[in-house]
Amino acid sequence: MVEHSRVGALRVARRIVIRDGQQQHHVTVDENGSVIVDGVSLHIAAGTGGDVRIGENGSVRAWVAAAGDTRWVYLDGHVYELDVEVAGRRRRSASGPGSLSAPMPATVIRVEVSPGTQVHRGDTLVILEAMKMELPIRAASDGTVASVSCKPGDLVQPGMPLIEIE
Amino acid sequence: MTFRRVLIANRGEIAIRIARACREAGIESVAIYSDADRNAPHVAAADRAIRVGPPPSSQSYLSVPAVIEAARATSCEAVHPGYGFLSENAAFASACDQDGLTFIGPPAAVISRMGSKVAARQLMTDAGVPVVPGDTPRDQSDSGILQSAERLGFPVLVKASAGGGGKGMRAIRERGAAVESIAAARREAISAFNDGTLYVERLIERPRHVEVQIFADAHGRVVHLFERECSIQRRHQKIIEESPSPALTPSVRSAMTDAAVAAARAAGYINAGTIEFLLEGSGDNSRFYFLEMNTRLQVEHPVTEAVTGVDLVRAQFVVAAGGELPWTQASLTQRGHAIECRVYAEDPAAGFLPQAGTLLMYREPAGPGIRIDSGVVEGGTVPVHYDPLLAKLTASAETRDAAISRARVALQVFPILGIRTNVPFLIRVLDHPDFRSGRLHTGFIDEHASDLLKTAPAPLEAVAAAASVSAESSLASASARSTIADPWSSIRGWGR
Repeated sequence: MVEHSRVGALRVARRIVIRDGQQQHHVTVDENGSVIVDGVSLHIAAGTGGDVRIGENGSVRAWVAAAGDTRWVYLDGHVYELDVEVAGRRRRSASGPGSLSAPMPATVIRVEVSPGTQVHRGDTLVILEAMKMELPIRAASDGTVASVSCKPGDLVQPGMPLIEIE
Repeated sequence: MTFRRVLIANRGEIAIRIARACREAGIESVAIYSDADRNAPHVAAADRAIRVGPPPSSQSYLSVPAVIEAARATSCEAVHPGYGFLSENAAFASACDQDGLTFIGPPAAVISRMGSKVAARQLMTDAGVPVVPGDTPRDQSDSGILQSAERLGFPVLVKASAGGGGKGMRAIRERGAAVESIAAARREAISAFNDGTLYVERLIERPRHVEVQIFADAHGRVVHLFERECSIQRRHQKIIEESPSPALTPSVRSAMTDAAVAAARAAGYINAGTIEFLLEGSGDNSRFYFLEMNTRLQVEHPVTEAVTGVDLVRAQFVVAAGGELPWTQASLTQRGHAIECRVYAEDPAAGFLPQAGTLLMYREPAGPGIRIDSGVVEGGTVPVHYDPLLAKLTASAETRDAAISRARVALQVFPILGIRTNVPFLIRVLDHPDFRSGRLHTGFIDEHASDLLKTAPAPLEAVAAAASVSAESSLASASARSTIADPWSSIRGWGR
């Protein structure tokens, strides 16, 4: 098994911001396995099973995986999806405020509206199907359909806009 | 009396489970795969593998001609259908018979009778097994379904007459919401089973789902292998199952297992099957009603294997080959306690929405009393086309409390990252005081949703752990892993 997590040991000290939903954490990682989170210094070392051990005696065990700017952490039975803020790069966001997008790869089975349709919050706009289950896409607010960018039979990917509402 | 070569007409964890049983029984196994599963673990688990079609299951795992052709091309004598896909498809069982292949399961006529809710209910009523009030309206229009619902009295359940696994099933509590639910149930029924016929029944409030494993051979012997309680469900699909049921008193267990054996006899059943019941009330006064019969191996069969110590799949081979059941009723006992947790790629916070993607990290726990049945590996992809079950974790121990603790501790060291799963949710169910005390019903998850879906901000340790990994190192190791995961594809070249 290839070692999964390369703990900071190979790199020089760096400062990053890690976002947990609305919350921001300021983190400094130094070259000797120390991580300072919001002013609190934590010792961190690679474990033997692809895990990391945190704390003086390595008493806290966590597993980490990176995908782009996202860090997945499993600790004490909870999964955290955290975002690393990298200077000069904006977090991915495929859709605007009035846009409804596919939550997962799915097939469009029905489109209930067309441009100009008045919709109310909670109305079903599109019905997707994935893994034999129907997933209704509902309006998040009242408004008018500005555009429809899918049709029955389309295979849509997560984040792909389906309907714009004004 | 056994087979030389068996086709495994399935994928994922159950295909691997069956391949293992084949190897132990000295039977050659042949896996089938769609183009999406070319590198899937179940392909490597079998002795040989053959492609059956493109990714959509309707053109691969669900295609009767493609699967029959695969069996013929590889000179298999028998087909094990697993669960789901073609396992309860009478036409497939008949096609196997016509082709001289042994279908490892009950006779086609039994599948077709038990697959029809109407025929199954009639059969149970005649055999003296209690059933839930309900019917399949002759008038299948929205108004016909509505009239039937009103006659039975709300709340009612509307479900696919051809169904199973909760697909095409909707609870309707009042007239107002009925029409949209009926239309949705019908569409799902057509999409899943190619048959939009709907069935309406009285909804029993706060029932438990308790089922009995039965097994019958072609020589007239029928046994039961006790019960499994499967009340913890979301979207009408089970996620935690256990045996014994914390609800059954000895007298109710005895009545229920007798009813199950009577049901299996009445059906002319052969091979492994499950009689599902709804249980209402508590103690010796609780009542049970026949829900449906599953004419196949169940997802949750490891629970029964854990408490009885038998191998159900091995027995399926023996019975399908015409042999006698390896056990008598008197030789079967229920020992200790077992709990199975189904690990799904799904997002509980988004209505258990199925998830697809790459497993950046996937490490299975191990230890005494822990069994993992899984169909995925680290670095592998969960495709969008199929059921998102990743693994089943079965914990067995002396007592229910010990089995719960064992399952909980194992889940805590079961990191699955890169795709959302229900692992944290399962832990919260196991921790819930009502689960601990055995106060279960099929609406448990909806009732306790706010407790079970609570999220907490990441502790500083989690933030520190996140900061310790960089994308470059992880990507590098991810690509290294995929080359490690790949040797199977090169090995497959040599005469497999």
